[in-house]
Amino acid sequence: MEPVRDRLIRVTFNADTHASIQWSFKPQQSEIYVVPGETALAFYKAKNPTDKPIIGISTYNVVPFEAGQYFNKIQCFCFEEQRLNPQEEVDMPVFFYIDPEFAEDPKMAKVDLITLSYTFFEAKEGQKLPLPGYQ
Amino acid sequence: MSTAMNFSSKSFAPRPPDKGAFPLDHFGECSAFKERFMACLRRSGYESAACRQSAMAYLECRMDRQLMANEPLEKLGFKDLINEKSEEKPEKS
Repeated sequence: MEPVRDRLIRVTFNADTHASIQWSFKPQQSEIYVVPGETALAFYKAKNPTDKPIIGISTYNVVPFEAGQYFNKIQCFCFEEQRLNPQEEVDMPVFFYIDPEFAEDPKMAKVDLITLSYTFFEAKEGQKLPLPGYQ
Repeated sequence: MSTAMNFSSKSFAPRPPDKGAFPLDHFGECSAFKERFMACLRRSGYESAACRQSAMAYLECRMDRQLMANEPLEKLGFKDLINEKSEEKPEKS
């Protein structure tokens, strides 16, 4: 995989928490400039300000919708339960790349901004994680 | 305006990460590496390409402390940085 240097893309970061979870959760950078074909690292941060452990689970969304197919997460903190102890604060990395094929797609020619949004929910037994997108 | 109701072959559904989830760094063992990386980002105007050494160092920290499955750095997109490193090593005679 080779970087496509002439397609600079601004990736911005959103962080949401569902009303049910008392974590504070936010990105550690509001944006990062990347090129397709080159791996990139970014961070979120989560804190449990309560006096009880809380287990959260997150999902993500990418806009524009059509760019999502090119957004590849190598590793992140999503889709698996994460437990924060009372007062605990942790860094949450996302390691990703935008597929070089992005640069070949005429539908993506005018796309130079991609927004990555993570939402944390409290993980409760039996609760199915609501995934965005059409199912 | 396009909507999601198109008939293109690819459609977006959230996908789990290729290599799974990072374990949480509960003890902040790699916080110093993260801080170096973030400082680099701030200095460089948030240009990812300028901070790849620091990104690689952060991931190496995680691997050294079992906070990430060991993976050759070449496979994580750092092949060119590894080659630079080995070029700097003196030749063994």
